[in-house]
Amino acid sequence: MMNEDTRRTIRLPHAGIVLLMGPSNSGKSTLLARLVEEGVLLQTEVVSSDQFRMLVGDDVYIDWRGRPKHEADILYNDYQRISEQAFAAMETILRMRGGLGKLSVVDATHLYPDDRRKYIDLAHRLDLPVVVVALDVPEEALLKRDAGRAEPRGKQRVKQQAHQFKRTVRGLKEEGFDSVYILKDAQLPELRFERRSNPLLKEIGPGIDIIGDIHGCWDEMIELIGKLGYVPGEEGLYLHPEGRKLVSVGDVMSRGPQSIRTMMFWQQHVEAGAAYMVDSNHGWKIARYLSGRDVSLSHGDERVADELAQLAQEHGSEAASQWRQRMSHFLLEAPSHLVFTKNGVRHVVVAHAGIRDEAIGKQSKRISDFCRYGDTDGFDAAGKPVRKEWYAHHNTGELIVWGHDPRVQPAVVNHTINIDQGVVFGGQLTAYRYPEKAFVSVQAARDYSEAADNPLKEWARRRFSPPNLRRLIEGYSVVTDSYGEVEVRGEFVKAAIDTVSHFTVPIEELLYIPPTMSPPAVSEDEAYLEHPREAFAYYRAQGVQTMVAEKKHMGSRAILTIYKDEAAAIPYIGYPSAGSIYTRTGRAFFPNQMEHKVLGQLQQDLRTSEYFERYDTDILVLDAEILPWNLKAKELIAAQYAHVAEAAMLDRTKLLVKLKEAQAAGREVGDWIEEGERKLANAETFGQAFQYYCWDVDELEGVRIASFHILAHGGETFFDRTHVWHMEHARELAGCSKLFMETEYRVITDAASEEEAIAWWAEMTETGHEGIVVKPEFYRTRNGSKLVQPALKVRGRRYLHIIYGMDYLEPDNLKRLKQRKTRKKEKHALLEFALGMEGIERFVRKDSVERMHECVLAALALESDPVDPRL
Amino acid sequence: MHLIIRAEGTDARAVSYLLAKNPNNLYDRDEKGVRVRLVYTVCTDDEVEAVLYATPDPVDLVKGSPDSYDITQYINDREFVVSSLFCTYIRSALGTALNGKTKEEYLPWVTHSFPFTLSFGPVASNLPDAIVEQLFEPLGYKVELERGVADYSFELKSRSSVRYVTLRGEVTLQQALRQLLILIPVLDDYKHHYVGQDEIDKLARYGEGWLDPHPLRELILKRSLRFSNIIAQFEARLRREAALSPVNADDGTDGQSMADGEPQTDGEPRMGEEPQTEEQPKIRLNELRYQAITNLVSGLDAKRTIVDYGSGEGKLAARLSSVEGVAEVLAVEPSAMSQLRAIERFDKLADHGQKVVPTPVTGSLFYYDETLRGKDVIVLCEVIEHIDAPRLNKVMDTVLNEYRPQTLIVTTPNREYNAVYEMDQSMRHNDHRFEWTRGEFADACDRWRTSGYTVEMQGIGEEVAGLGQPTQMAVFSRREEREQR
Repeated sequence: MMNEDTRRTIRLPHAGIVLLMGPSNSGKSTLLARLVEEGVLLQTEVVSSDQFRMLVGDDVYIDWRGRPKHEADILYNDYQRISEQAFAAMETILRMRGGLGKLSVVDATHLYPDDRRKYIDLAHRLDLPVVVVALDVPEEALLKRDAGRAEPRGKQRVKQQAHQFKRTVRGLKEEGFDSVYILKDAQLPELRFERRSNPLLKEIGPGIDIIGDIHGCWDEMIELIGKLGYVPGEEGLYLHPEGRKLVSVGDVMSRGPQSIRTMMFWQQHVEAGAAYMVDSNHGWKIARYLSGRDVSLSHGDERVADELAQLAQEHGSEAASQWRQRMSHFLLEAPSHLVFTKNGVRHVVVAHAGIRDEAIGKQSKRISDFCRYGDTDGFDAAGKPVRKEWYAHHNTGELIVWGHDPRVQPAVVNHTINIDQGVVFGGQLTAYRYPEKAFVSVQAARDYSEAADNPLKEWARRRFSPPNLRRLIEGYSVVTDSYGEVEVRGEFVKAAIDTVSHFTVPIEELLYIPPTMSPPAVSEDEAYLEHPREAFAYYRAQGVQTMVAEKKHMGSRAILTIYKDEAAAIPYIGYPSAGSIYTRTGRAFFPNQMEHKVLGQLQQDLRTSEYFERYDTDILVLDAEILPWNLKAKELIAAQYAHVAEAAMLDRTKLLVKLKEAQAAGREVGDWIEEGERKLANAETFGQAFQYYCWDVDELEGVRIASFHILAHGGETFFDRTHVWHMEHARELAGCSKLFMETEYRVITDAASEEEAIAWWAEMTETGHEGIVVKPEFYRTRNGSKLVQPALKVRGRRYLHIIYGMDYLEPDNLKRLKQRKTRKKEKHALLEFALGMEGIERFVRKDSVERMHECVLAALALESDPVDPRL
Repeated sequence: MHLIIRAEGTDARAVSYLLAKNPNNLYDRDEKGVRVRLVYTVCTDDEVEAVLYATPDPVDLVKGSPDSYDITQYINDREFVVSSLFCTYIRSALGTALNGKTKEEYLPWVTHSFPFTLSFGPVASNLPDAIVEQLFEPLGYKVELERGVADYSFELKSRSSVRYVTLRGEVTLQQALRQLLILIPVLDDYKHHYVGQDEIDKLARYGEGWLDPHPLRELILKRSLRFSNIIAQFEARLRREAALSPVNADDGTDGQSMADGEPQTDGEPRMGEEPQTEEQPKIRLNELRYQAITNLVSGLDAKRTIVDYGSGEGKLAARLSSVEGVAEVLAVEPSAMSQLRAIERFDKLADHGQKVVPTPVTGSLFYYDETLRGKDVIVLCEVIEHIDAPRLNKVMDTVLNEYRPQTLIVTTPNREYNAVYEMDQSMRHNDHRFEWTRGEFADACDRWRTSGYTVEMQGIGEEVAGLGQPTQMAVFSRREEREQR
């Protein structure tokens, strides 16, 4: 009987809540002290009401007996209040510990169902197991122990508690505990206590290969694991020479041709410890079917039943029944998800349809459902679940790998990867290798599903479909790779939709809205509003060592898409096109004819210089400034800038003549004249300033396109390159076509190059050029995990006259203007930067128009949120 | 912005008495943050010249303006040109001269006419030189206009958009100033404030004696008061005063209240349902279109649910909602501005107890909206011609293949008919991306027509032989439904 192996063992969960239950003196604290001593529990895992009474009320117990009534009342009341606070504090701590996935053992009497109920509810809310351990001690023993205590509770109370214990312990099993242990006092010494480890945690070891939804596509699966280096061994097991393990995201069966064989494969490999498989929607359905539940089979599940019937026919019903039992057991036991760790740290989470961050590493019915079906938001008109984007909220850092929802390409979003590429629908079977972070895939031999609603075909058909308005119009969020989630509000989305409906180029050609750009903090130099020094300081503070300063052109912003030939556009936008040129707000840059000419010329020049061949691309997307300013802004210049200059010159010239006459007549107007002269000079400066950016053009003659960001080639973006690379590439383009021009730039690495760049800026801006744009060395730069401003513009003193008015440098004006705030502008710059890159990435990936447009529309929506336009 | 008042002749010095400004002192005041200064360049017995100028704060000028997020706000001619703002700034400097309540001894000069030279500017006006001259010549002035300098390094404009005005004539100082305070804002055609009782008062007071017989009176009223209801108020007041003379300027109305609270618009024609070039026939044509569509819908079996796509200000949707048997009208429109007007219209319908009132829906033909599926009728009334032709095929694909209404009604202009209008532009509306002949429209409809639909072509409006009717209408009907009946 005392043999170690035969002692009854109580297994406490790895996390959750364990309630101890029993009257005072039943030995709860003694048991816990023993478990701590044995190393089963940590001292910090034990929480007791006494402990919290001490913490909040300095005393465990207040004795009110034997006091005069009015004193007893007060003391009793004190005791109640302390209890109340102690329990509240304890509950808070339990919730916190539970949220962190910790185990807490609660040491209190818990004699009433209501006492226990709140912990059961709490555990369910936290998706954690809850266990009760009840200590059943005879009344005589209790009384005896109480008598021996320093502060006895008294006979009456002990009897009452013992009685209550007996009454309540009977219904314990129905209260909703995951486990109930009722331990007789005498048994205790013979019991062994143990902690379970978290069954969801697995070591990555030499590596894992996670396989997407297989759906009975046996041939493709065998081909894939062959490619991954697994070789069949003696017992029919495919093992990896390096000890890597296979992981299935579930849905290994249904829809496809060889479900039974595939299920067998996984069952054997999991049993042998060579593979893991998580639960899934089809897996769960089949599990219940195999275990004899009454379920209706559809969505390809019926094919499993057909195979099973055939198995019975070929091998007899006995064999089929055995198989049935084995498989149902295997499937029912499949964990909701698995967490793969390395050095005790969570690296990868595998869940079939996804998982919420707070559920990672936990188990409950609710979590199982979520992992099987994802974040469903009801059903659409056709009865299919509408999926919500759970991955938008993922921010705990683990990589979540999932399947379930077939995508044409592995979808990498916000540190989550979807690897269901719809092999059963004629797509691909994908494996994701970790820690290599590499994809390996096998093309399906054919579409096995024979489904009318093939999601891949549906996706291809819908790729160019108009975006779903209802999903966008009340505000939405885009999950970007660079920034995470970007939210836009309905009111601004509506304004953006209005713009898109009236003014922009077609939605599928609207790839990118250039992000807004902030100036740096205002200059400390009292003669300047903006100065490069503040821009350099910003980047240095962000840990950027190398910067690039580019000459800022004063023209009109343009996004150019140039296709190699008209047919090359079809895979990108769905119809033939030479390309498009649009403004920063998405409107066509040129009238039709002119656009045609510009694109035709660019296409021809790029083809002649074999650009498309050299880069093996059929498309070139550029972010550029098109000069001169008057090409696009002639009306604005005439009606605003020139008009104001003329008015100011006329006014100030005439006035100055008269003031001088007055002075000649002996009036004391010296100050007025001085002011007048200064202001006349301001007006002259202003009148000259905008003319630097204007010249006459004749058709294409005089038009210059200064590209500064090479946004995309076919299947490729350049957001990981340096700005020097982008500048050099622009220089190369300038060599290809007369329409392109290169942009001067400087690289700043130290104090000397900083000074040199400042001198360059000062000289350039004094002759009237707009200024410079300072950028970090790399296109996409982070400080820690935070994105830094992609660029800061530093405009010249002279240029700013056309922004802040001709008298902005008057000391009093400048002082007030220096109070300007750039925070919102900076925030928008980052969000729009992230959206811009995301949209282009989706475009080159040939993602759906809707997915690309949600980025563009969000950027337009941010642009409709007013920000001081002078910044 | 400045004004130079110059008088010559033997009595010239009296002008300085009337101005009530000592020639030896500088006048330098702050008028609500605007610096107003006056200085004499000369003041002798036979020659007086006073220069009056205002310097607004450029930063203050744009504060609180409704379009304060317009990039051009700091590049603003308001800081330089003479305007109603200028008149406001200088009014108190010229107070005595304007009200004529000068010292007893100078009173005779109030009614004395001096040979004045009045120079002011710069003026930003859209009125041609001839009209500017006609504004002042009937008042006895010789008018000299001078343009600003517009010399640019590139081709920008043929002449400057600012002018400088010099007037010469014999008038009393009071009269001259009153005329300027009315006519400078008329020239400028830009108001910095709401038009209200103040403007009516000012016009009545300063216009007394010269405005009524002015040949351009109507223009002056229109540019001063802008809104017909305010002009009507002004006229009524003049009639009242004529009947009740002597005049009491304070007639008990609240001078602060705004006539109708309607904010000043910049006079830009509103983009709406009315094409610009056919004012007379157009209004009738709109009406005819609404009638035609309403009649057509009334005659349909399936008409419970209707979508008016591109509903604008909701006129047609309002009509359709009153059709017997219609239970729901969705007025779908992307423009928030138009939709606000539509909402007002629909609210009125509800107030009048109409049972079915259209529901305003923000929507756009370039997006997919599942809530528009399976309706009985979708109407695209004068909508498609606002869509670039390349985008239109996809739009029609969404409507016919996704929304699949029982009936789709599409109207669009008939380009052939434009010959009737003798238009001086190629299309009926600036925003039209195309206008089609009957043949082109029929071809397009045939292209769009997808499985299950038949299409029938009709016309709306007065027919002209060989040219057809001004509006063409296509009615797509779902065939299966018919066969089932």
